[in-house]
Amino acid sequence: MAGSIPSIKDTRELLKKHKIVIAGIGETEQGKIPNKSSFHFLSEASKLAIDDAGIKKTDVDGLVTAFSLVEHTFMHCTTFADYFGLNPKYFSSVAIGGATAVWMVAEAAMAIASGQAETVLCVRGDNTLSGISSSGMVALIREMCHAEFEYPYGLTTPGGYALAAQRYLHEYGATPEHLAAIAVTMRKHAALKENACYKEPLSIEDVLNSRIIAEPLHKYDCSIISDGGAAFIITTEEKAKALGIQKPLAYLWGMGQGYSHQYLTTLQDLNQIYNAIERSGKKAFDTAGVRPKDINLAYLYDCFTITVALELEGLGFVGKGEAGPFALEGRMEIGKDLPVNTNGGLLSQAHLGAMHHVVEATIQLRGEAGSRQVDNSEVALVHGNGGIVSAHSTVILGKEPLS
Amino acid sequence: MSDENKYDKPLPEFRPETKPYWDACKKHELLLPKSKETNKFFFYPRAFSPGDDMSEVVWEKASGKAKVWTFSIHHMGPTKAYKSDGAYVVALVETEEGVKMMTNIINCDPKDVYIGMDVEVVFDDVTSEVTLPKFKPAGS
Repeated sequence: MAGSIPSIKDTRELLKKHKIVIAGIGETEQGKIPNKSSFHFLSEASKLAIDDAGIKKTDVDGLVTAFSLVEHTFMHCTTFADYFGLNPKYFSSVAIGGATAVWMVAEAAMAIASGQAETVLCVRGDNTLSGISSSGMVALIREMCHAEFEYPYGLTTPGGYALAAQRYLHEYGATPEHLAAIAVTMRKHAALKENACYKEPLSIEDVLNSRIIAEPLHKYDCSIISDGGAAFIITTEEKAKALGIQKPLAYLWGMGQGYSHQYLTTLQDLNQIYNAIERSGKKAFDTAGVRPKDINLAYLYDCFTITVALELEGLGFVGKGEAGPFALEGRMEIGKDLPVNTNGGLLSQAHLGAMHHVVEATIQLRGEAGSRQVDNSEVALVHGNGGIVSAHSTVILGKEPLS
Repeated sequence: MSDENKYDKPLPEFRPETKPYWDACKKHELLLPKSKETNKFFFYPRAFSPGDDMSEVVWEKASGKAKVWTFSIHHMGPTKAYKSDGAYVVALVETEEGVKMMTNIINCDPKDVYIGMDVEVVFDDVTSEVTLPKFKPAGS
């Protein structure tokens, strides 16, 4: 490695050398599932991922968790280690909102590359739909805006995204139909996913006729709330072989983050958001040595329809203002230019941050997606977004080792 | 002035360093913080300038004039207290001094609000302790 200041080139060499892989995945049933706690879902998802990899629980020596919106705890990772009965050599909780799940992959990779652990369980689970109290929901809404200078004006989380959406429509001449087309595509994909909450057909008119939450966003422009858990196991190709893992491996090719702001009040303009998404993507693209045109599958955080538009454009898949027509022409659908969220995303499958985005990317790269399998799935990009399009994270995964 | 007993919407959670701002609001004056070193305005108020200078803060009276940068008519509020109200406008306005503020656009039909609209500050004494600066169409 050249020089003493590490760079993306070093990361690329590290990933080539260690061949970090996703070697096991698990997703529990998603939906309204009362009488299961957050820690129940975490355990169930972990067991599924361990079983999927075909390893023993004692083979896991690292643990990365996130947080719970229902059961708050300052030390989430060790609280779960205690509950599940793990004795990890490495443990960490990632808490960057919707950017979390994607960054759990990177966090585990960095732990492995620095010799802290060999086989890292990454897991998130929550009974958000059944377990959250109304005061908990209010606290969550308040968390997304400034408690002193934004919240007293009645700003909500959908409202924050609506502010970004309104400005986007104004600057680029996009329309509510454009945003609706994104929700429609997600629903089409969810219809093909067994483990999805909402599968009934949805039309652009359905979206536009649904209740307005915060103009210009309608009910179906907003993601769903669900209970459930999901997990993945990160290790190296060599360790996977040593453990006798038979499942096809998904290889980590690149990763990056991009920060824009926390509160919309400090946002200069939409370009600040685009630049953060671009920086996140660029680090991942440069490490992987690929460009947007090389990506076969995109998993874009879709807490609201507008988020997908900003990410498609910020990551360079389409030009600024072009996401709407791209969606309206069906070009994000399976079998078209760039299949986006083949599982139906947060808008229709389930909401567990980007956990399912990572899991579904792995399913596709394995070729196990059945009726929604995308042909020639070689390279997938997964992008997470936390806050109000504030904090971004990207990983790129490949079917083959990085070369 | 609103009836204090009836105001059950969220109130600002104050930090000590923002006292000059809220004290001025109570006197129906809009004070904005700026960097002592670079003279640059910033918002929201903080203990130090968030610029690279990390400088001390000085306060200056603002013109109260702004333009709507973006807005969203909220049909659903964050708490139960909003249930009896109709739709309301949450907006990010850009002040003449060049900072953005989250606010409500009041004294007009929400449907008449547009991006680029000229607005001016108006003070809403929501309780005897708290005055929220809001904005209304300029000259209205």
